[in-house]
Amino acid sequence: MYYFGLVIEYLKNYMKTRLTYRADFWVEVISDLLFQATNFIFILVIFMHTNSLGGWNQNEVVFVYGFFMVPFGVFSCFVNMWGFSERYIVKGEMDRILTRPAHNLFQIFLENIDPPALVGSFIGLIIMAISGSNLGLPFEWWTIPVLILFTLSAVAIYTGIYTALTSLSFYSDAPTGILPLMYNIQSYGRYPVTIYNRAIQVLLTWIIPFAFVGIYPAALFLQRDEMKSMALLTPVVGLVFLGIGLMAWNYGVRRYKGAGS
Amino acid sequence: MAAIQVQDLRKTFKVQKNREGLKGAFADLFKREYTEVTAVKDISFTIPEGEICGYIGENGAGKSTTIKMLTGILVPTSGVLSVGGYVPYEEREKFVRNIGVVFGQRSQLWWDIGVIESFQLLRKVYRVSEADYKKRLDELVERLALQELLNRPVRKLSLGQRMRCELVAALLHNPSILFLDEPTIGLDIVVKSEIRDFLKDMNREHGTTILLTTHDLQDIEALCSRVIMLDDGRIIYDGGLEELKQRWGTGREVLFQFGSATKLGQLNHWTDGMPVTWSAENDLNAKAWIPLDLNVSDVLGRVVGQADITDIKIIETNTDDIVRSIYQSGSAEKPEEARAEQDGKEVVHV
Amino acid sequence: MSKMLGVAASSPGGSTRRPDSGGNSRKLLLGAYFDFIRIRFLTMLAYRVNYYSGILIYTLNIGVNYFTWKAIYGDGQALGGFTAAQMTTYVAVSWMARAFYFNNLDREISTDIRDGSIAIQFIRPYNYVLVKMMQGLGEGLFRFMLFMIPGMAIAMLLFPVNLPTEPSAWIGFLVMLFFSFLINSQINVITGLLAFFVENNEGMMRMKRVVVDLFSGLIVPISLFPGWMSSVLEVLPFQAITYLPGSVFTGRVQGVGIWNVLGIQVLWFLLLLIPIVWLYHAARKRLFVQGG
Repeated sequence: MYYFGLVIEYLKNYMKTRLTYRADFWVEVISDLLFQATNFIFILVIFMHTNSLGGWNQNEVVFVYGFFMVPFGVFSCFVNMWGFSERYIVKGEMDRILTRPAHNLFQIFLENIDPPALVGSFIGLIIMAISGSNLGLPFEWWTIPVLILFTLSAVAIYTGIYTALTSLSFYSDAPTGILPLMYNIQSYGRYPVTIYNRAIQVLLTWIIPFAFVGIYPAALFLQRDEMKSMALLTPVVGLVFLGIGLMAWNYGVRRYKGAGS
Repeated sequence: MAAIQVQDLRKTFKVQKNREGLKGAFADLFKREYTEVTAVKDISFTIPEGEICGYIGENGAGKSTTIKMLTGILVPTSGVLSVGGYVPYEEREKFVRNIGVVFGQRSQLWWDIGVIESFQLLRKVYRVSEADYKKRLDELVERLALQELLNRPVRKLSLGQRMRCELVAALLHNPSILFLDEPTIGLDIVVKSEIRDFLKDMNREHGTTILLTTHDLQDIEALCSRVIMLDDGRIIYDGGLEELKQRWGTGREVLFQFGSATKLGQLNHWTDGMPVTWSAENDLNAKAWIPLDLNVSDVLGRVVGQADITDIKIIETNTDDIVRSIYQSGSAEKPEEARAEQDGKEVVHV
Repeated sequence: MSKMLGVAASSPGGSTRRPDSGGNSRKLLLGAYFDFIRIRFLTMLAYRVNYYSGILIYTLNIGVNYFTWKAIYGDGQALGGFTAAQMTTYVAVSWMARAFYFNNLDREISTDIRDGSIAIQFIRPYNYVLVKMMQGLGEGLFRFMLFMIPGMAIAMLLFPVNLPTEPSAWIGFLVMLFFSFLINSQINVITGLLAFFVENNEGMMRMKRVVVDLFSGLIVPISLFPGWMSSVLEVLPFQAITYLPGSVFTGRVQGVGIWNVLGIQVLWFLLLLIPIVWLYHAARKRLFVQGG
């Protein structure tokens, strides 16, 4: 309850800040969408030259892409770790965070809240609806609850991975270069992982499990039975990776408190 | 009861060595070398509730490291630590609800929105009830005359205005212990004295314990009943300010500028019987060195009525000068005395 | 200004020559510029987490793209003039080239502008833009030697990458790669300097990043875009960053075509100088006349 109240409070402050720079809000929305659009263009261009990507047709790949955007938007809204190292470690704002009575990671999430990213989630839903109806996918009683569950699980996976990576800033020189590179990799979870070789499949499934934020959960809605068991694993993977991320973080904070900046 | 209790506190950092040149940099890529630096070396002190204590020393003496350990930001390498009944680095979130922290160089307010919004948010973060918050805010706002500023974004505030707001932000939850790291740095004299008065009132009315680091001796003179001086990670003095100044203070210098020629002999004659040392560059400029046990006003009294004075400038010793003079005075014996002093103090305080 | 950039352009490889001890002031200044390359190179070396993860991730990027294209090719006929083998090489070479030309000059410049430290930079006795370019070059050289070469070796072990054997292709590629760096950095400088005139150029920087990756042909070779789109992209500077040099190196463009590619790169390099000079002067004026 306390933390929920804080979310509302930080959101209010965000809105107040944003109202002073209204133009930025839209620039940000547009640049977010453009970022997504480039990947969309990639899919469109590919399917101009082929009918199937590893046995998946265009509508299916587009549907996976739509699903991918939903948790990604939620994640980008609430978990925004860009520039953590500069702002909190180098400029020392971590000290301020540590003198406040709320969980430190939670404070950092809240201070960097980014609601425009949610626009991407809505567009993702629209893309899912359009490609889903093109494919004639059935709308079951469980569709919405499972969509919510999978979205939360995928957000947990993102949060776990990025929190673990960001916590590296506590150990070493600024690993700021890694996050943008990760952004490239996560988008690979949107394509049928079966097209990759074994090593990359294992990597995207178990080590940096970006396949669980795209292709696996989406496969359940697409009635792709070969990935059904993987899809059902999504919440478990979410919990595990969130746990790993939080552990790495807490360990990192302990180390920060031992070593200082 | 003691607000802050520190026993044999030590903090050691591992510092990465950067080897020189291109070859060194390549070597660093594969194997790093570290050196250990001990920033705080087994210090002990106790601060009773309601005391204002100045924590001074040159840059790099270990002040900030100590403050960071006391506020729960850093975990000590060894030693026992108790602040407001808590061990700061355990139960951090509970502990910090009881303390206020102001880092003079960093803001805890939101840059782009009205100050009042930041306060609102901090109220939620510190779980202060609406009623307590209102009462407390009204009191602080009135005391610091912030009414006009509340709706202004922080980026439009002057440094002095901002610092007053920072104090409010740190005090909204009515902490029993307040840590101030260079609270008056960069402020003009009017704001400095406003802040000092305010802190003194807070201490008197609410019994807030205050620990502050500063380079400004006037902060200490105005506020502190006690001074802890740090050098190279060790406490070299712990006791009253007056004793510190008497023991190590170099005295004060007063610069005089005269409208008409005034001879050195004449000056000496006026202050006959006083331990004042005069020096003069020429007939129009002279310097008087006045030991600390002598009032400056007494000296001025002798001179002002008689000479044709166009300007007087009093040069204050600051803490850095005192520290420097401690080094120069040959530290071997005097820190020993200081330590004895400190032991005596502890008996009184506990 | 343009004379200065000419100096930068005429030093491919950017050797870390130190100034002669008895040199005149111009030589000293030149030495100072080379020092910016050297210092950035050393700075990059200090971040070893970035280094190790960078190699892994670049290799992974090549791998994923390789398999994606393999799946797209499926039965193996040529797409957009690329055979499957050429596409593999193209993907590997483009990603590795990106390691060299990529930098964050836009972000660095706009940070300098926003926190006001650009004022100090502008009164120092050197050309700010040129210094930034030199720092970018130091970064590029670092990645070239420590990312690109080992990364390429790994990629060649794992994937069927065919690199040309004649030295002329290599020399041509290195020259073109240097121009890729120049053009990409110029675009970054322009984006960064715009922070003087736009309240918040964060969104613009993100957009630029995406646009460069997509329109330079890194993600999809330009000849695979639908006709109208590739004809638009052919008149934009982005293709000169990845697509054109990649085409030469994969052997799709040969003979006289190579000179055409180089010509296009030089043309864009010169054209992009115009907005930089203009922005730079407007920025100075804004800084000194209006006080920022």
